[in-house]
Amino acid sequence: MGSIEGILTGFQVAFSIEGVLFVLLGVFVGTFIGMLPGLGPISAIAIMIPITYGMEPTLALVMMAGVYYGAVFGGSTSSILLNAPGISGTVASSFDGYPMAQQGKAGKALAIAALSSFAGGTVSVVLLMIFAPMLANVAISFGPPAYFALMLLGLTAIASLSEGSTIKALISAVVGFMVATIGIDPQTGTARFTFGSTNLLDGIDFLVIALGLFAIAEVCYLVMNRHKSLGGSGKDIGSLKLSKEDAKEMSGPIGRHSILGFILGILPGAGATIASFISYITEKRISKNPDKFGKGYVKGLAAPETSNNAATSGAFVPLLSLGIPGSGTTAVMLGAFLVLGLQPGPMLMGDEPEVFWGIIASMYIGNIFLLILNLPLIPYIARILTIPRPLLISLVIMFSLIGVYAISFSVFDLYLLLAFGVLGFLMRMFAFPAPPFILAFILGGMMEQSFRQSMTISDGNISIFFESNISLVLIILSALSLSFPILKNIWAKKKA
Amino acid sequence: MLQGVNRKIGLILAILTAGYLYMSYQLPTYPYIPVDADAIPKTLGWLLLVLSIALFFAKDQDTEEQKAKRRIPKKDTLALLGVFLLAFIYITFFQTVGFIIMTALFVYFCSWFLGYKNHIVNAIVSIAFPVALYSIFVYMLQIRLPQGILPF
Repeated sequence: MGSIEGILTGFQVAFSIEGVLFVLLGVFVGTFIGMLPGLGPISAIAIMIPITYGMEPTLALVMMAGVYYGAVFGGSTSSILLNAPGISGTVASSFDGYPMAQQGKAGKALAIAALSSFAGGTVSVVLLMIFAPMLANVAISFGPPAYFALMLLGLTAIASLSEGSTIKALISAVVGFMVATIGIDPQTGTARFTFGSTNLLDGIDFLVIALGLFAIAEVCYLVMNRHKSLGGSGKDIGSLKLSKEDAKEMSGPIGRHSILGFILGILPGAGATIASFISYITEKRISKNPDKFGKGYVKGLAAPETSNNAATSGAFVPLLSLGIPGSGTTAVMLGAFLVLGLQPGPMLMGDEPEVFWGIIASMYIGNIFLLILNLPLIPYIARILTIPRPLLISLVIMFSLIGVYAISFSVFDLYLLLAFGVLGFLMRMFAFPAPPFILAFILGGMMEQSFRQSMTISDGNISIFFESNISLVLIILSALSLSFPILKNIWAKKKA
Repeated sequence: MLQGVNRKIGLILAILTAGYLYMSYQLPTYPYIPVDADAIPKTLGWLLLVLSIALFFAKDQDTEEQKAKRRIPKKDTLALLGVFLLAFIYITFFQTVGFIIMTALFVYFCSWFLGYKNHIVNAIVSIAFPVALYSIFVYMLQIRLPQGILPF
């Protein structure tokens, strides 16, 4: 099937009644969950996975993609209204969004955020449509060594670009990989680290890890802050109208950061958080009025909002075309693919064109729905922020437990979920980032398989990883990404 | 010697890694396999040991906000333990008593335990959510949830 036919098939899926309904459901639920402080796209996708069981895979994934960018979108609302970002990708939006809200222009700030996100999301979907098939065509020629090197780059990049200590991020990734080795080794049939338990023979399900490390760990913090009021209710947000000057000021950042955000989204380890910060800093640097930033400046809100949404689509490029997630969120998305019996990667475009193109095409509709949701309906949706925390905590625990039970029908997995919740809580407490853990857990099995396939091909000769240009370049990039934090430290010390 | 949180974590991790490495070396190996089932675990074990040592000697760079995150008041610790205990009870009786009853009881008592005093709303939410979810999973998605002592 050619690209044009593929695109048409995608639009057929996206514009079908079911397609439209599931996109709407996805973005609505995503916006809802993304708005809740702490519960970002990872928790949103993980909580929604059980709902997709038994669903037609294309529609299920169209909905999950909607949940993903809906959650990014929703995060900006709590950033602007409450200065309490739902996710780290919208922290930069609060720098100018919240001051604007404090000045009584919350409606205007929400309108800027919605329009910027819409523009960033739409431009980046066009770019995704161009680049994903191109990369998929290149990736068809990748052998096991190149795949191994690519996954290694994904892991080292996310570890070195994580917030805080690189050592802690690497530890998190290594432990995630270790957990992935639990269960029967597919090549030799050896039971590894199962402690004689039949419950562990199949390994640990990724949903147990994702919900434990993210949703249950967040619940622990919600329990500790259970008496804190979230404040605003979304009422009295003021006018949503933008003036001509506002539109003029927004246009520059939207154009620049749609592309920058998309590129940063493709890069392994970068994602919406880094994209939004880089865009904010870049916009401030090139601005003629840098002193206006942080005080409710239109450009200061439009830049990160455009960028984080563009990065969300960008992150789909490696996921759809290579089958390699570049971030924690896309790692959970990959998990959703696997649960539905699909393997994203270079063959997806040829084997399952309706899935590949359906997801991409649905993003156009999704962005339109988000614009509709985030403009006239936002005061009503924002009332979710008034849900009493004790009720919210009980419901999140309940959804997490049901989600895990519905995938494994095992009570043992529910106890395991609580254990990973405690681990996630401790990791946050001691500043160990969780995204490298989940990424390593998801990539671990595939990495080990590629490594062993490569070694079998080369009869145990490790030089196979340096023979092809692709794997050599990727391994050099992995080494560079690992040395990046060290070089940055040395540079900072020299400067001081 | 153990001043600073990095040192303590580094040491605990190193001890745990030693146990992991011991188990890795107990894994059986087979001839004619270039990379056996023990290779990756052994590599990961040694890598984690190196990282634990690096963490042990690394300077504590935690921000004040991060340090504040580690100070949990006693009442919050008790609240956390209470929630986990309720979740533990929920899981233990989940299959025998059934999804609807246990979920309703869990949502109600967990919310109440955490300080939610509007009993009417609490009761409505506690009953409505489990019934709605049970209907969606069992009748729409064809996924069996434990029926327990209820006849449906």
